[in-house]
Amino acid sequence: MAKMGMVFDLKACIGCNACVVACKQENSLPDGVFFTRTLSHDYGEYPTNKRVYIPTICNQCEDAPCEKVCPSGATYTREDGIVMIDNEKCIGCSSCAVACPYDMRTMLSDEMFQKGLFGTGQITPFEEQGYDRYIAGTAAKCDFCSQRVDAGLNPACVSTCPTNARIFGDLDDPNSAPSQAIEKRGGRQPLPEKGTKPKVYYID
Amino acid sequence: MSGNPPVQNSLKPGKWINSTCKMCLHSCSIRVHVTDGGVVNKIEGNPTNPSNAGKLCPKGNAGIMRHYDPQRFKQPMRRTNPEKGPGIDPGWEPIGWDEALEITAREIKRSLDKDPRLIMPSLEDFQKMHIWFWPLAIGNHNFYQSGGTMCGGAYHPLNGYIHSAFGAANDAKYCNYWISNGGGDGFSSHLHAAAAAHWVAKARVERGMKVVTVEPRMSIAGAKAEEWIPIRPATDRLFAMSLSHVLVNEGLCDYEFLRKDTNAPYLVGPDQFFVRDADGQIFVWDKAANCAKRWNDPTLKNDNLALEGEYVVNGVKCRPAFQVYKDILRDASPEAIEKHTTVPAATVRRIAREFAEAAQIGETITLEDGRTVPFRPAAYNYYRGAQGHKTGMQTNQAFQLVNMLVGNIDHPGGRCGVTITDGCVDNNHCQPGECGQMLGTPHQLGHMPPFAWPPNEYHLAGYFPVGVNGPHLNMLSYTEPEKYGITFKPDVLVNCHSNPVWSIQGPREKWIQFLKDMRFIVCVDVIPTEMTDFADIILPSSDYLETYNAVMIEPPYTEGICFRQPVTPPLYDTKSEEEIFFELSERLGVLDQYNEVINLILGFNQKPHLALEPGRKYSDRDIAERLGQLWNDKPIEWYVEHGHSSTERRLDKWYRPWEGLRLLFYIEDLPVQREQLRRQFEDAKVPFRDEWPFDDYQPLPTTVLDPLHYEPPEYNLYAITFKDIQMNFGESLSNPWIKDITYRDPVHTGLLLNTATARKMGFANGDIVLVESPYGKLYGRLTTAEGIHHETLGVSNALSRTRNENRAVLMSGGHYNDLLPYDMKHTDGATGQPETTCKVKITKLADWPDFLKQGSTVYDFVDSIEKAEGKGGMH
Amino acid sequence: MTQVSERLVGNSFRPGYRFQRYWDTSMALAFFFAEVGTGLFVVSLYLDLVPGMILGLALAATLKPYFHLAHMGVPKKSWRAIARPDRSWVSRGAIAVGVLVATGVLHILAQTVGLGLPPEVVNVIRYAALAAGLVVMCYQGFAMAASEAFALWASPLLPVASFLYATTAGVLLASIVCPLAGHGPAALPQGLVGVLLAADFAVVGSILVAARRKSKGGAFSVELLLKGRYARGFVGGALGVGLVLPFVAVIAGGDALALRIGAALAMLAGFFAFRLLMLRAAVYEPITYDLAASIGLPARS
Repeated sequence: MAKMGMVFDLKACIGCNACVVACKQENSLPDGVFFTRTLSHDYGEYPTNKRVYIPTICNQCEDAPCEKVCPSGATYTREDGIVMIDNEKCIGCSSCAVACPYDMRTMLSDEMFQKGLFGTGQITPFEEQGYDRYIAGTAAKCDFCSQRVDAGLNPACVSTCPTNARIFGDLDDPNSAPSQAIEKRGGRQPLPEKGTKPKVYYID
Repeated sequence: MSGNPPVQNSLKPGKWINSTCKMCLHSCSIRVHVTDGGVVNKIEGNPTNPSNAGKLCPKGNAGIMRHYDPQRFKQPMRRTNPEKGPGIDPGWEPIGWDEALEITAREIKRSLDKDPRLIMPSLEDFQKMHIWFWPLAIGNHNFYQSGGTMCGGAYHPLNGYIHSAFGAANDAKYCNYWISNGGGDGFSSHLHAAAAAHWVAKARVERGMKVVTVEPRMSIAGAKAEEWIPIRPATDRLFAMSLSHVLVNEGLCDYEFLRKDTNAPYLVGPDQFFVRDADGQIFVWDKAANCAKRWNDPTLKNDNLALEGEYVVNGVKCRPAFQVYKDILRDASPEAIEKHTTVPAATVRRIAREFAEAAQIGETITLEDGRTVPFRPAAYNYYRGAQGHKTGMQTNQAFQLVNMLVGNIDHPGGRCGVTITDGCVDNNHCQPGECGQMLGTPHQLGHMPPFAWPPNEYHLAGYFPVGVNGPHLNMLSYTEPEKYGITFKPDVLVNCHSNPVWSIQGPREKWIQFLKDMRFIVCVDVIPTEMTDFADIILPSSDYLETYNAVMIEPPYTEGICFRQPVTPPLYDTKSEEEIFFELSERLGVLDQYNEVINLILGFNQKPHLALEPGRKYSDRDIAERLGQLWNDKPIEWYVEHGHSSTERRLDKWYRPWEGLRLLFYIEDLPVQREQLRRQFEDAKVPFRDEWPFDDYQPLPTTVLDPLHYEPPEYNLYAITFKDIQMNFGESLSNPWIKDITYRDPVHTGLLLNTATARKMGFANGDIVLVESPYGKLYGRLTTAEGIHHETLGVSNALSRTRNENRAVLMSGGHYNDLLPYDMKHTDGATGQPETTCKVKITKLADWPDFLKQGSTVYDFVDSIEKAEGKGGMH
Repeated sequence: MTQVSERLVGNSFRPGYRFQRYWDTSMALAFFFAEVGTGLFVVSLYLDLVPGMILGLALAATLKPYFHLAHMGVPKKSWRAIARPDRSWVSRGAIAVGVLVATGVLHILAQTVGLGLPPEVVNVIRYAALAAGLVVMCYQGFAMAASEAFALWASPLLPVASFLYATTAGVLLASIVCPLAGHGPAALPQGLVGVLLAADFAVVGSILVAARRKSKGGAFSVELLLKGRYARGFVGGALGVGLVLPFVAVIAGGDALALRIGAALAMLAGFFAFRLLMLRAAVYEPITYDLAASIGLPARS
């Protein structure tokens, strides 16, 4: 049994958001929806101020609060630890969205799909071939590109990241790239006090 | 669940096609997924190209949104509304290709037959040099595209002198100490952004390479740097010279390199020329023999060459070039320079010492090809912001001299020349010049036209013998034709993938009038832009997912051809640029000439069997096929399969390609060119000869201040503009995915003003302001920030779009380029590089001016994002 | 205010507070009607006040599902909400609502038309309805408390508040329905309403104190409720109109029916404000604060 996780290398990340766009194209996300975002955080005072770019994504928590509160059983965890949504079962109650401390869930709406990426009310052939996978009214989120993972590929955001700021692999395998990165450079989970046991770590 | 049908785009039934990105002008290798239904649904980096190694920047990832942009031009069109202007509906009427080409050729010919100079070309496709150089086929040297001085106007000529190359890059493979001055290489922009960011991140993360970033705004490079050093805009040359001052005066130079591999020991007379014998051989000073000898005297040992001192040779007082620079640097102590740059002297001294120490002067490395060469893992990188000044040539040279002093030029870990293309894999770009020196090749994109008075080019290119085309200078001829001796007025504009009305500095209103004055404008483009609003005929081109191409365009660490091929048939009734320009050439009767131009420009003449034949038109595929064969003799089928022939730069062409020649520490060609030009001006009695900026031609940089620093004191802030990786080169902001990420990034949502400065001046975050320079104005909204120099207003390029027919582009409150001067006072006499920084004053307004209250602006869009309350998870 | 709004980042790619709007007005109405209706039903059950039971059950069985379904993304599949009572309070609540409606209706029928059922069965039905009612009175608090996302919600006091508010509303409404239905004054202890209102006040205050202590996000939410953009609705509406005003009215006016009606309306208005603003003031917290410690960043306050 694997435990797929991701490490974000804050030293490497240049905040280019190629990951965000790669995700949008891989997953045909409708306008305004992001499964991953890279935040820009300024701190300190001029001229010694600093900026750090902080990638964020669904943390695929081991104690996933979204799964615990899901009344329909739509949210479940795969054997490899990826938290999934069966959108056929999802009733759109949004319980998961308010349970996720990271605001990583999106409730899909009809408007999102009808508006189109260009906001013209018409959808492109790209959107047409991609929107089938979604059901308006249901919840959606990053699933580490689970189908790519099944095919032996990295998630789209990882594979496009110019600086290798996203390191993906099996956290149960001490020799995997993310395990090694954590071992060598520490690693910190987001909001651990929420008790969710994220499978995402930050190193710097 | 593996049993489920694929919903992720890259896994759906379909095929992958290897091709090349064109979302910026560079050429990362991509693989494109097309579904069985024929829909392009995923673009990824091609991992087999060592350049981008499977990585793509956000723009490369957003190509699908360009391909399926509903605003794409779908067939040729003719204007029906005679009124032209920004955002005014041209009333397009679809017409057939034959008619469109017929009208276009007829209108061009009407002027061409009178005078080829009446044609104004603006052909910006930098991946297709054979389109860019089409005007040569009609005997025309006008130039109106922005890819001249607004790019690396002075950068390219100077690289031609230093590396005999178009570009240059810090060698990320070995570099351990990287100074980034006003350039985004390796972080956000310029050469193959995703590829460079990839290599540089590896250096930073895996090898702990230290980055020191010197720039007025904390860019990505500034954010990633161990140290960000804010600097007053347009003082970067002085900063570099203060570094050099420390290197030179503390003995932190690679003297062995300077003696052996550069002309630093060559003796310079008081007239700025080398001291020569009657045969033109240059003298050096032999310290051992204590006498002057000719540079090629067999008794000379490099160790004995004097770099310092003052001598008399044949009665002429002279100094080694190194001493000349050392004397110039006397005025450039960090303490003296601090008042200009605002960078503390102690910081400069520390950085200089760290830099020299990291350069490991004296160390060598043995390369895989068996050569043992100097190992200099410290390098100074700079680009657009730092070099884009009135004194561009001097400025670029000052930066390169920091590199040269520590001996890192074309050495592992140092500053390496990057060719734009090698054409054929065996071509070396370095040639011998005079007296043992490497030949300086400032004309990286071809020679400027010859001097003539009255001028033959509307943009006065004949007066810039070592420069690049300065499109902004068209405005001089347009507004002051008598003064500039203009005897003709271009009336036909041929435009291809170019948006000069948006991207060239100077007053928008006058540029608009300039366009309105054109009798006929044809635009070859994919989508509407500020420019196509003025077209009479639209010739829609196919996009990069529908055409062939082959290009090697200044990849920093690799060489080879990146091959583009159609992944789908054209979606609409469009043609490749090749088809369009071959058609036009035939109709204009210049097909043979055009084929000859292409043979020359693309180098087909090097392999005669590849040369285009007279009387034949060729397709995009034909050209791409020949470019592939020129490189490595592989047939097009091989390229169709592999998508590229990119490999790491061949060591002999990458490190010391000039082996045995001396690099130009001292660029004597600049005073040579100056005096020749001065003579030409005198002989022709050019009326403005006394005000022409001949002083910009200097063999070594000086500490002169750029004129913008002398603007009236009421202009109490500097203004700079900037892009980041999501806008790197070219049009981006009509692309919804690029819009998505740009306007969520706080640096692109308002005019950046230092928080403490704002407080001091009585401004607050969110204030609506009028920004005025001595030359123009714009409106905007302030974002107070820490990451900006305390005297600087930062204007993101994302806040510079103006109203046009492309409704996806959000209008801002004016254009940064409007704030800039276009005159010769602010143009580098040597290169044509215009000043790109300006002084401004800002005034708080109670509300937006009326024209910004109608319709949605970029600020409305920003508000819709920043004030959103997350309904339905619209994050 | 400027400072507060700067820390809210909307949908921009900056770390900062983001509002949740996944649960909004519809959900607040559903919660409100469930708690008011069930509170009235349960109190009426205690009082054997059939009109109260009918009214309460009607609210809980019609308006609550109506607004809840209006909130749902996929209403036609909403029956699935009962699938996971083992872990989800929403499932438990949905089941409880179902049981409440079924047993409540049976009980009312038994009380009115008479179903001919043995008294033991009626009693079982009565206790089942009571039990389901008690669950419905609390479960929404539990559902909110289950969300660790928001310090404002993640508190065991939330179900207590739900229960107390529901009881208060039930008692107030029952004491109006009773005389209006001709049953005379409700057989409730003097001062009960005052005690309940005071208890509501205390638990709301405790929720705020706990949230403020729990995290910066919690403190931010409390700031929004007490000083920020929701202060008028929360301090004026939920606390002033909803709790203080009825308290004063009840203490001062004793049993005057008009005053009771006024007090009940004020209390309900305030209760709804409480329900809505508890949803609206919840903010997601930036992960930066926590990372700050590990990557040497000072947290932005």
